[in-house]
Amino acid sequence: MLRSLGARLLRLVPVLFLVSLGTFFLVDLVPGDPAVAILGSNATPEQYEAVRAELGLNESVVTRYFDWLGDTLRGDLGESLTPPTQSVTDLIQSRLPVTIQIATMAMLISVTVSIVLALAAAYRPGKVFDRVTSGTAFAAIAVPQFLTGLLLIFFVLFHTDLVRWFVLVAGIAGAVLIAVRAVGGVTDHPPGNERVRAAAIRAVLALAVVGFAVLLFARFPEFPRQGFTRISEDGLWPSLRDAFLPALTLAVAEIAIFMRLLRNDLITTLQEDYILSARAKGMPPWRILVRDALRPSSFSLITVAGVALGRLMGGTVIVETIFNLPGMGTLIVNAIGAQDVRVIQSSVLVIAVFYVLVNLLVDLSYSQLDPRLRRGRV
Amino acid sequence: MAVSEPTETKPVVQPATIGADVAAGTAAGASDIDAMLPRRRSRLLRFGVPTAVAGIALVVLGAVVMTEGTTWVRLSMIGAGLLAAYIGIDRVAKAVFGATFDTGLWMAAGWLALITLSAAFADLLPLSEHEDVSKTLTVTPMLTPDLLSSHPLGTDSQGLDVLGGVIYGARVSLVVGVGATVLGMVLGAAIGLVAGYLRGIVDAAVGLVGDAMLAFPPLILLLAMVAVLEPSIFNTTIALAILTVPTYIRLTRANTLLFAQREFVLAAKALGAKNRRIIVRELLPNVVLPVVSYGVIVVGALVVAEASLSFLGVGVQRPTPTWGNMIAAAQSRFESDPHLVFIPGACLFLTVYALNRVGESARAVWDPRQREL
Repeated sequence: MLRSLGARLLRLVPVLFLVSLGTFFLVDLVPGDPAVAILGSNATPEQYEAVRAELGLNESVVTRYFDWLGDTLRGDLGESLTPPTQSVTDLIQSRLPVTIQIATMAMLISVTVSIVLALAAAYRPGKVFDRVTSGTAFAAIAVPQFLTGLLLIFFVLFHTDLVRWFVLVAGIAGAVLIAVRAVGGVTDHPPGNERVRAAAIRAVLALAVVGFAVLLFARFPEFPRQGFTRISEDGLWPSLRDAFLPALTLAVAEIAIFMRLLRNDLITTLQEDYILSARAKGMPPWRILVRDALRPSSFSLITVAGVALGRLMGGTVIVETIFNLPGMGTLIVNAIGAQDVRVIQSSVLVIAVFYVLVNLLVDLSYSQLDPRLRRGRV
Repeated sequence: MAVSEPTETKPVVQPATIGADVAAGTAAGASDIDAMLPRRRSRLLRFGVPTAVAGIALVVLGAVVMTEGTTWVRLSMIGAGLLAAYIGIDRVAKAVFGATFDTGLWMAAGWLALITLSAAFADLLPLSEHEDVSKTLTVTPMLTPDLLSSHPLGTDSQGLDVLGGVIYGARVSLVVGVGATVLGMVLGAAIGLVAGYLRGIVDAAVGLVGDAMLAFPPLILLLAMVAVLEPSIFNTTIALAILTVPTYIRLTRANTLLFAQREFVLAAKALGAKNRRIIVRELLPNVVLPVVSYGVIVVGALVVAEASLSFLGVGVQRPTPTWGNMIAAAQSRFESDPHLVFIPGACLFLTVYALNRVGESARAVWDPRQREL
């Protein structure tokens, strides 16, 4: 375990070196004189000279790189080049938490929802629910994130009443469906305590669905069109509420991708012999799905979730722009507009390093989930 | 038990519905049974033709005739009409071409053909001004869509024609998407072939650079590249092509490894073929199909990426209309005039959906690794 961790960390060193090299040379890739790009063409020669000195353009490339790398490793990312001049480290420190919060919430939403949907679809493959969710998922993958965001704004914010009534009707319909199914399902169980228990579970489920729908109908949260409350300011709820629509925007496509993947893996797992033996013992189908089939089916989901985090970090650029949130995405987009190369450089570097480290964690979590990987081939 | 039939495949013909025919006929193959089924076929036609006609009529009624009606009513009529038309056409197509006919796939291909042709021949179409604001001073801005007028999809806040914008935007999307894919594919496949065949230090170096590029989330890498380039169609294409190169290297390398061990490569080596000949004549023809079939899906992803850049204001800029910058421009009046967002949005969605649909079937047919999965 420790040795594989060491090997992985060692492999990261050259990758991170190349990443730093790439972001460092971003400044040199700007066509023309960086000083002119930053100041515009109307500055005095002294001002140009000052900017060149600030960028260290008069020194050799190697010195500049190692100076920059040293500063960066010490956590000093320099000062922004365009006014208002401020420490880039402070800027990123205030912006990164917003992006991480949205990406994390999006990840939690997509993993939870996709697991529930995939289990329900794999429960009766090829039946109506499976076909509808699979078809919808295939379509949802083709919706660009900014369009998802605008659609959510259109319905949830501009046509709130429509959504509230839809939630109410869908909740009641769902509960009725559960009740109708229960009438047939309960008689599968032997009479006595077990049948009572099965009936009780279904009744509670139906009531929970109706209760949730009514609660949402009566007290629909007032999501903001734009803006953001940080976690510390006013407790947890306002922050979660403000980040919900942006996170949901990011989650929609991921839900679709995760769900398709997990559904297919579940269906493959369900053909294994041990599932047959569990079924022969008389285990209820839901228990087999959740307890026996879910874990061995989740490996490709975890790989893809690692990659998805990269999409989420990129996608926050779009949702932060739509919902006007103070995160890394709007920082980068604004810096591109202002041609502030140093802010772009530092933000891109921070995000890339963060992404690499998260993927390392994903790699390591495999061996925790799959005992077969702990020994043998690592 | 519910969980028991995971890979239940639908039989091509339902035995229950054809009992009489089978009893009358002899042991016949599936296609013969299909041919012997005039009754099933005519039932499909009897249901399909009227449904399709009614659906199309409903769409026409909602879109063209009832111009005075409420927007919601008209939209639901168009929606219901499209659904009915799809179901009807699906039945008819299955009756004519056989039960395995994939109507959705052909519709996707049809949409791609439509959008490509109209983008290619946009200059010949009778479209109103979509680009030059100085020519639209006399045009009423914010016209609502009216399919029979000279502005079928309405005008935007500057009087520019939305249909024209959408069609010329398709041109940008397709040129950038296809161009970048081809460029990235050629570069990535060349590098991947060499790395996968030569192995050793070349492979390690290529893998390292690829890993470093994949260490950036895609959109972030794209923004970093766009930050140092002038926003133009050409530069956007280049940036998107670079973005796809590492993925293509991986894909080509993996496929090359599959074939590099095979006997025909060994035979070529034994006959004294040079590395270049082996790569170009032996490996390339085997690798090219899976790589190209993946390309269709990549075009879809790049169309989205291009639209995202335009939407963020760092891609192709006005006055050149693109789907992304049309949506971005319409955002400020989103609540009062949502159609300005949803029309280019729908084109974007349909195009990407169609590309995914066609790409998936292309991969299912041509990618050996995909078939194993």
